[in-house]
Amino acid sequence: MKDQRLETRVDTQTIKISAQKAQVYYGTNHAIKDVDVEILDKTVTAFIGPSGCGKSTFLRCLNRMNDTIPSCRVEGKILLEGEDIYDARVDPVQLRARIGMVFQKPNPFPKSIYDNVAYGPKIHGLTRNKAELDEIVESCLRKAALWNEVKDRLAAPGTGLSGGQQQRLCIARAIATSPEVLLMDEPCSALDPIATAQVEELIDELRSQFSVVIVTHSMQQAARVSQRTAFFHLGNLVEFGETGQIFTNPQDPRTESYISGRIG
Amino acid sequence: MTATPRISLFAQDTRTKRRNAAEARFRSYGLAAIVLALLALVWLLISIFSGGLPAFKQSFLTFPVTLEESVLDKGGKRDPAIMAKATTVTYAKVLAKALEAEVAAKGLETKLKTKDLTKMISEESPATLRDRVLADPSLIGQTIQVSVLASGRIDGYYKGRVTMESAAKDKNTSPEQLALADQLKAAGVLTMQFNSGFLTMPDASDKRPEAAGLGVAIIGSLYMMVVVLVLALPIGVAASVYLEEFAPKNRITDLIEVNIANLAAVPSIVYGILGLAIFINFAGLPQSAPIVGGLVLTLMTLPRIIIPTRAALKAVPPSIRDAALGVGASNLQTITHHVLPLAMPGILTGTIIGLAQALGETAPLLLIGMVAFVRDFPGAPPEGLFDPAAALPVQIYNWTQRGDPGFVERASGAIIVLLVFLIAMNAVAIYLRRKFERRW
Amino acid sequence: MSPGLLTLLILVLALAGYLIGRSRAVAQVAGDIRKLHSLPPFYGRITALLTAVPALLLVAAWLLAEPLFLESKALSLINPSEIPAGKSAALVMADVRRVADGLTALQARGDDLAPLLADPTKLKTALNDAGIVLETEPTVSTLAATQALRDAGKTSRLAMTAAALALAVAGLGFALSRITPEFRARNATERFAMWLLVGCSLIAVLTTVGIVASLLVESIHFFELYPATDFFFSANWTPKFGGGSSLGILPLLWGTLYVSAIALVVAVPIGLMSAIYLAEYASKSTRSWVKPAIEVLAGIPTIVYGLFALITVGPLLRDYFAEPLGLGNSSSSVMTAGLVMGIMVIPFVSSLSDDIINAVPQSLRDGSLGLGATPSETIRQVVIPAALPGIVGAILLAASRAIGETMIVVMGAGAAAQLSLNPFEAMTTVTVKIVSQLTGDTEFASPETLVAFALGLTLFALTLALNIIALVIVRKYREQYE
Repeated sequence: MKDQRLETRVDTQTIKISAQKAQVYYGTNHAIKDVDVEILDKTVTAFIGPSGCGKSTFLRCLNRMNDTIPSCRVEGKILLEGEDIYDARVDPVQLRARIGMVFQKPNPFPKSIYDNVAYGPKIHGLTRNKAELDEIVESCLRKAALWNEVKDRLAAPGTGLSGGQQQRLCIARAIATSPEVLLMDEPCSALDPIATAQVEELIDELRSQFSVVIVTHSMQQAARVSQRTAFFHLGNLVEFGETGQIFTNPQDPRTESYISGRIG
Repeated sequence: MTATPRISLFAQDTRTKRRNAAEARFRSYGLAAIVLALLALVWLLISIFSGGLPAFKQSFLTFPVTLEESVLDKGGKRDPAIMAKATTVTYAKVLAKALEAEVAAKGLETKLKTKDLTKMISEESPATLRDRVLADPSLIGQTIQVSVLASGRIDGYYKGRVTMESAAKDKNTSPEQLALADQLKAAGVLTMQFNSGFLTMPDASDKRPEAAGLGVAIIGSLYMMVVVLVLALPIGVAASVYLEEFAPKNRITDLIEVNIANLAAVPSIVYGILGLAIFINFAGLPQSAPIVGGLVLTLMTLPRIIIPTRAALKAVPPSIRDAALGVGASNLQTITHHVLPLAMPGILTGTIIGLAQALGETAPLLLIGMVAFVRDFPGAPPEGLFDPAAALPVQIYNWTQRGDPGFVERASGAIIVLLVFLIAMNAVAIYLRRKFERRW
Repeated sequence: MSPGLLTLLILVLALAGYLIGRSRAVAQVAGDIRKLHSLPPFYGRITALLTAVPALLLVAAWLLAEPLFLESKALSLINPSEIPAGKSAALVMADVRRVADGLTALQARGDDLAPLLADPTKLKTALNDAGIVLETEPTVSTLAATQALRDAGKTSRLAMTAAALALAVAGLGFALSRITPEFRARNATERFAMWLLVGCSLIAVLTTVGIVASLLVESIHFFELYPATDFFFSANWTPKFGGGSSLGILPLLWGTLYVSAIALVVAVPIGLMSAIYLAEYASKSTRSWVKPAIEVLAGIPTIVYGLFALITVGPLLRDYFAEPLGLGNSSSSVMTAGLVMGIMVIPFVSSLSDDIINAVPQSLRDGSLGLGATPSETIRQVVIPAALPGIVGAILLAASRAIGETMIVVMGAGAAAQLSLNPFEAMTTVTVKIVSQLTGDTEFASPETLVAFALGLTLFALTLALNIIALVIVRKYREQYE
């Protein structure tokens, strides 16, 4: 396993998600201030920063998961391919078919492995018959590098897998709806080093088809997997740019303090 | 892989629209369920209250009665034995005559004779007057103002149960009597007053619903609650303390815990069978006595006290116990000086709620013989615990089994009394919980 | 001496023991309590406990065992040839007991018993006066048995008093003799207290033992008088006063299950949907008053529901449903009782389901919502399947409650035992018959009365099975998520 990935040329500059002066309030607490960031297609973007800096909060705004929290309020604009996702006409249900999410602790449904992956396509009505559904399940499990391990026991419960396998199952589940962007909230923090390595390898492969945003508290992980990095601190987006540049030549002194371990 | 068709986020596709419609429907089902449940509650309460509130008002006839010595004390010396020879029949005649005189005095016209007027007064009233005179013989010779219960039919007339048409077919009353009653009401002789007797008088026989009261039932229930409190609280707390703090975690303890959980869910009628078999047949305790009812209810309430008490003990953090043990207190001292006082609010709340449940139980009391008609107040405890008595819920059941519709009103009124007690107890429990609840 | 007075006396002795023990301990160290192992009150307490507890236990055991001994003694005096046909010795014993009580009452009133005992007719009249009615005049052997009972009773009480007081004094003396400064009074007291605690815990076990024993013993008596196969398999329930009854449980079981089924049909949808709404959709403030409001339904005594069924729901169903549809004209029916019972059982389903649904981890919901599912899809396809075992457990507990319910069916379902499919007919249940057979006029030892114990045993077994299955399911489910 290499610790440092070489800079791979990013082959498209299409902007998938663009945040413009985004603010997030929890009641009267102004948690996220003035965030301007662009998530590019077919790129892995990492959100880094010390605990409590708001990176997970902001991540959850990108697919409107914060709607489930009554006191949370978002202002400013967050655009998916030019359309404001917080517009009144937008149905979060449709939005989340296009922006998928993987959570910190693997949370497979207490259903079979097959049903876990098939859940998304089924509720969104993406397939016409069972054959198509089987195809999607297989291809997603292959993409998640899980197919060979589970192809003989698709009916077994998803909760019976090991930690790393469960997280890969959750990734397969998330990509089953063919989202354009995949959000990952510290996906490896509950996994052992071997499983972590497997998931990181997976992320690198997924980037050829999706745009990935990953929140991580490990700078080394961000350096390994991402092409662009955003550094958050106390609710502000302090610096955003190419990963190599952030880690070798940060512009803002706060970024430098974090990278060198003086804060965090 | 099939790509998701790219449509604008601003346009809802048909499938999403259908899913959102299904969502709205589902949500409305949930709301409808809650509304149905609450409506049922409201329906129940309105039905009971509308049927029972009239029981608290009763028709009384107030008029002067001359207590003539020649009729009531033939010996003239106020000798109780001689005075007792004047029976309730005699007093009934006295009352009827006095009412007749009052009718004439107020200038009211009626074709009714004296014996018809007797029917307008409750059959209970002569006994009440007789008891009053025997208790205070100096009344003989005087003319006193007397307020007696009107008969059940007259009372029913003013509460909508009896009409002129039904009176024509009723052998206990007649339209002429009802007409006279109206006249008496207009003249101020007949009044509807708050009926405190409903709460203090004992039960009355079948034909006298107007005189039936909850006095004996309330005392009986009170005695039983005292027995339950005195027995179930200490035993329950002791058992909980042992199970929670001292019992080793082995299969026997497990068995006891499963046992208690089961006992809490055993139908109450089985406790009644237990009471009948053990307390009445085997131990020979008297039927229908508060002590037996209290013992049966204690056994029933014990699991219901043990379970919340254990929860209250569990909620006290181990750090408190560690601190006490650290200064050298023994296990028992730790519990009595530190843990129990902190768990007390939870224990009291659980006890009060258990008592409230016991107050409303009927089936076990029926089986230990409380179906009987009890007119005498039980004596003072502890002997009074062995006298036959009634209980609130059993009295309610008794009254529903009687023919006279006046008793249905009494039963509903008794339920109101029962509910008032229960609300009071639950309010105390909630207050205690709010005031003393600690968040660790 | 009455047991009450005896207990009081023992307690007074115990109090005295406390004071003497405490002062004796202090006296032995000449007032310097630091030299004592335990605080002075403990010496007092152990003395009081040793005085009171053994003596009181003796009194309790004596009172429990006394009736058995006395009756067997009196029973032996009854001449078997004098037992009237159709009765058993037990019934004659019952008469003997009543006569004995009556004689005691007469004596307390001041009557002279000698002439009464010589003339059975006079005795019968005198007892009648005192409120005790006998069918026939007491026979010579019955009178002898009565005398023996009363005499034995008096001797027994005297012996009990003497023994108890002796034990109390002995305990007092023993405790005092052991008091020295090194005596670990606190430990001894606490050991004693521990046994008291254990004893209290065992009362719970004893209750179950008592329930099972009383049900079994009397059911066995019943099955000696009436064949068990007929009881369990006959579809005919017609008890007759004086013998020749048919006592089959099937119509009663049918009524019980039918009423409970209707109750569940009402309670499960309403309860479950309420729980779902409260757990997943309602705001905190709505939840804070709606949840207690629904739980009020569970706190209302069943007699209130019974009256509600009797005077409101029954006539309503009859007038607007049964009669127009030609299905019956009774206000007591399975439908009435089932509907009202359903209302009562709603909070059982909703509260338990609410707890269970709340226990499903939020991460599962997040996973589903993150995929773009609507809340109702998440509930139907993820939350409820995860909560299903617990919900099934809740429904079973609710069913058990419905099956064991008495007052609602007594007042709402009627007394006619029949196997009918028409829910608007009056059909009776197991619990109703338990009440009617045990509060009726039949003799206790007759099959018509004893059948109530067999019914009670069946009911207990049924509800116990349901409760155990429900508890096992809920426990297993809880382990899944903890």
